[in-house]
Amino acid sequence: MSPGGQEQAAAEDLRHAVRRQFGRSLHIRTLDTGSCAACEQEIRMLAAPHYDLQRLGFFFTPAPRHADLLLVTGPMLRAFAAAAGKTYDAMPGPKLVVATGACALGGVYQPDAFSYGSVGEVLPVDVWIPGCPPSPLALLQGLLVAVGRLAGKVSALSFTVGGEP
Amino acid sequence: MPQWFIRGLRRGVVTTRYPARPDPSASTLPGPPAFRPRALTRAVADTLARVCPSRAIARDRGTLVFDAGACTACGRCRDAEPSAVIWSREFELAATDRPSLVKRIQLRGEESQ
Repeated sequence: MSPGGQEQAAAEDLRHAVRRQFGRSLHIRTLDTGSCAACEQEIRMLAAPHYDLQRLGFFFTPAPRHADLLLVTGPMLRAFAAAAGKTYDAMPGPKLVVATGACALGGVYQPDAFSYGSVGEVLPVDVWIPGCPPSPLALLQGLLVAVGRLAGKVSALSFTVGGEP
Repeated sequence: MPQWFIRGLRRGVVTTRYPARPDPSASTLPGPPAFRPRALTRAVADTLARVCPSRAIARDRGTLVFDAGACTACGRCRDAEPSAVIWSREFELAATDRPSLVKRIQLRGEESQ
């Protein structure tokens, strides 16, 4: 085993244990770091009868102190980074961070004087959900991946059709 | 008995069965493109990279680099090169590490590196 491999294996075990704990009851705090609110609309639809987030044991909470998961949208404005850090610090551990939408993943805005361009620059992101905006189904899959109830399948996708050239 | 209760009983459950079963609306959702390597030449790749407004598509020598995380599903690549790009209809795209969303696709007529 490589140096530090044992620690890494222990960290991986701990991560799985945490995800098992969150599997049936997870409280979500949403954080808008400068998004256009399209992601917020889709997140809001998760509570509608068709998607019914509560059936899976997921709940929205208005307080970061009650939250297990931070659902972050937007390109992380520099003016908001301190507030985002405080929100993250206010959450009790163990905690998860999910970056939502193309802005949060660094797709739309370049780093500039106003924004970091990606949530990953400021917060330790556990799961990335692409989409502009991600549909409620995509958000649902992302949340289930975050708590380990579904396996992520995007690493196996090639985005090609019709075989090799 | 209130009419809405009777109506609700008659129409049944509206809640999706996802993730236990696939959702019927999933195939109608906007999603990232999928590429046909047979039609991907260097010129086509350059066109795609030019029309992409969110820099999700780029060309790195003999490969097309597609960042699914940066894709906004706008469809401009499909409009520009309909023979090389189709709609993947994928929506289960959540990733636990950012680099796994970046795909490298070999261009036609370019030797692999």
